[in-house]
Amino acid sequence: MKNIPHENILLFKSCLVNVEYPGVESSTRYLFDHLGVEYQVHPDQSCCTGLGYYYDLFDQYSTLALAARNFYLARESEHTNITTLCATCYAILKKSLHLLNSNEKARSKVNEILEEAGLSHMKYEANMLSSEENIFHIVEVLYSKREQISQKIKKDFSKIKVASHHACHYCKIYPEQSITSSRNPMLLDELADCCGVKVVDWYDFKKATCGAGFSQRFANRDLSLSATRDKLYALEGKADVLLHMCPNCQMQFDRYQPVLEKELGRKIGLIHLNIAQLAALAMGADPYEVVGIQTHTIPVEDLIDKIKDIE
Amino acid sequence: MMEKKHKKSQHSLVREIKDNLRASPDLGIKRCMQCGLCTSNCPAARHSDYDPREMVKKVLDNNLEVLDNPDIWNCFYCYTCASNCPVNNSPSLINQILREKILNTGGNVSRVAEFIEFGYNYVEKGVGTIPSTFFQDLVDDFGEDYPKLKHDLPDIRRKLGLKEYNLKGEAAAEVKNILKASGFTQRLEKLKKIA
Ligand code: SF4
Ligand code: SF4
Repeated sequence: MKNIPHENILLFKSCLVNVEYPGVESSTRYLFDHLGVEYQVHPDQSCCTGLGYYYDLFDQYSTLALAARNFYLARESEHTNITTLCATCYAILKKSLHLLNSNEKARSKVNEILEEAGLSHMKYEANMLSSEENIFHIVEVLYSKREQISQKIKKDFSKIKVASHHACHYCKIYPEQSITSSRNPMLLDELADCCGVKVVDWYDFKKATCGAGFSQRFANRDLSLSATRDKLYALEGKADVLLHMCPNCQMQFDRYQPVLEKELGRKIGLIHLNIAQLAALAMGADPYEVVGIQTHTIPVEDLIDKIKDIE
Repeated sequence: MMEKKHKKSQHSLVREIKDNLRASPDLGIKRCMQCGLCTSNCPAARHSDYDPREMVKKVLDNNLEVLDNPDIWNCFYCYTCASNCPVNNSPSLINQILREKILNTGGNVSRVAEFIEFGYNYVEKGVGTIPSTFFQDLVDDFGEDYPKLKHDLPDIRRKLGLKEYNLKGEAAAEVKNILKASGFTQRLEKLKKIA
């Protein structure tokens, strides 16, 4: 497995975590603090532009130039192990570094943009950072700490059945760099196993998209929900919790599940949690002050009531 | 749905796609063997008339009709096709480049019009947002808890120990200047005008 860092981590803020599931960030911080992972959040970091990029709005150069600025912040603060909370940030940043390192024309154009913006000091030189060795997803850090996590579990999840949804932009854009297979993704399942839950390792549509489809959710709602429906129906009765690693997927399932349940005429009854939220809960974190369950549409309280302290 | 017809150009679509910055130099478009693995796993093909294998075929044939096919706007950009393609082709990337080409020549701008606000918000605050054009649609689907959540968010974030995420002062100015220098601000103005 590739080398996963435990220090000098820049925990990269995500726009959808910020406003939809902030508990994903606070749970991650809780875990990093308890697992001895050294990190910082940079107040000046801008978003990756990913949503805009896939709304067909952001062009590649604008995305690259903003990435170069964020890479400067990482270098300047000596936290060059950029670790994302979102699968789209992960792939956008990987692509940005790949282009900046390998495409000289792109690099000089980006440096011209920075100069014109009065930011010459932020210019990027080839191989200052590496796409393979400087961009990570929080799930990778947690995975590399899985033994430590399993030793710190305080809550009994053994009666809870958990299935996983591996975000497309983590598994499918750079499959050779991800630490799980895009054809048989098991990363979240293995991590969940360390938290003491019952894992549903396979179900129909396991590899399928959440259906958000970036602009599709808004511009093509029915098409978008058709894909979401495939997965939720396939999981009916099979699991109590669906685990996530991307706020966009989590939003699609958690917010639209009641819409699909209404149409179906019965409850599908899945609860949606990010893997960091599940691990934090299992390690005894407060549901409201750390895990942030109060921003979820599907109430998490039922689950909290079921999990008791391990004797 | 397309507002403009596309003239024949002497450059082939394949060449144009390979030269686009979004495409990696090793994009296996010419190696496509029309196996259909992309289509068999594609959520948009499952639920609409869109067919990535066919789209790639049209591009390979330099058939510009592909630009007028409204179905290409159904792609989810999920990259399932790319992860299954045996020859490192990516219908997902090709689709992104085709849509960019259409938008840059003034076609189908109404499709992105409602997302323009995302761009303006980013220019000002350096963060992604859900465009307010869609907020009411979301409230209709998610119910009244959703606006309440938005209202309570600052308190919730404080309770979780999280700080402000919108950029301010110098950082915000830097982002704004970058987007001016990259031509993004101009692009937004242009799209807004056409829309
Ligand atoms: S999977 Fe690849 S090779 Fe097969 S039809 Fe699709 S693009 Fe062509
Ligand atoms: S990226 Fe587009 S073409 Fe590829 S599988 Fe997803 S929806 Fe289909």
